[in-house]
Amino acid sequence: MEEYNAGEEVSFNADEASVTVKECIEGIIGGLDYNQNKVNQWTASIVEHSLTQLVKQGKPFKFIVNCAIMQKSGAGLHTANSCYWDTATDGSCTVRWENRTMYCVVSVFAVAVTC
Amino acid sequence: MSDLAKEKAARLLKKRGSVSSIGSHDFKARETAKFKDSISTLSYIDEPGHHDDNTRTAVQMENTYQLAPYQRFPVVTVNEILKDVLTNYLQEEHYEAELCRQMTKTISEVIKARVKELMVPRYKIIVLISIGQLSDQNMRVGSRCLWDASNDTFSSYAFKNSSLFALANVYAVYFE
Repeated sequence: MEEYNAGEEVSFNADEASVTVKECIEGIIGGLDYNQNKVNQWTASIVEHSLTQLVKQGKPFKFIVNCAIMQKSGAGLHTANSCYWDTATDGSCTVRWENRTMYCVVSVFAVAVTC
Repeated sequence: MSDLAKEKAARLLKKRGSVSSIGSHDFKARETAKFKDSISTLSYIDEPGHHDDNTRTAVQMENTYQLAPYQRFPVVTVNEILKDVLTNYLQEEHYEAELCRQMTKTISEVIKARVKELMVPRYKIIVLISIGQLSDQNMRVGSRCLWDASNDTFSSYAFKNSSLFALANVYAVYFE
């Protein structure tokens, strides 16, 4: 039987993932202003779209994608994460994006799946 | 042989060059691209003490012949932990940039430690904390996960007081 995976583990490539995610964000909210009615739809599309693009890379990972969109009003926001996993195979990356009216922070966590 | 070593060294240096602390404020803007009216920054997370671990190849695990986890992740207990930690740390606090910066990092470490104390075998933990100032703005947070829905799960709690809000998310992924 042919193995889909060559049998060696690859570690998470944060560069590639962040480029993918940035393109997704640009495609969905690039050039738009904050809109209360649409923001629910936007967060859902951004996470779903990013997830599909990440899966298309075909790597053996479980993904968690988190997206926060906040209106710009001078208020502050802090985000932190702490992970208990295998640092050799698992990884994460965070993309911050902003335009004139809103901030968008997307975090991607990738946990390796043993085949 | 020396080329291989040089490549590896270059790769290590590159990884170290993109170090940022666990928290949010020390983002080293690895790459900023300016579009017409938007700015985006990329940042990676690297733990300072774990460079050596990253160079070793992943360990091939032996087959356990286990079909499912013997002990499932206790979502309700973790909900209680989140409520407990957030309320204790933030009930009396007022939003201040420096304080909350430190607080997010501390709280995420504390929650990770308490969830680890539960000693649920074969589960990997991801804790995500957001603390923000309450003002006239609106905010939406969403997440999607691609995982094994029968074994993996998450727990979430949102806390609010007169000047700030805090959101805690814990994701638990079963290690097959």
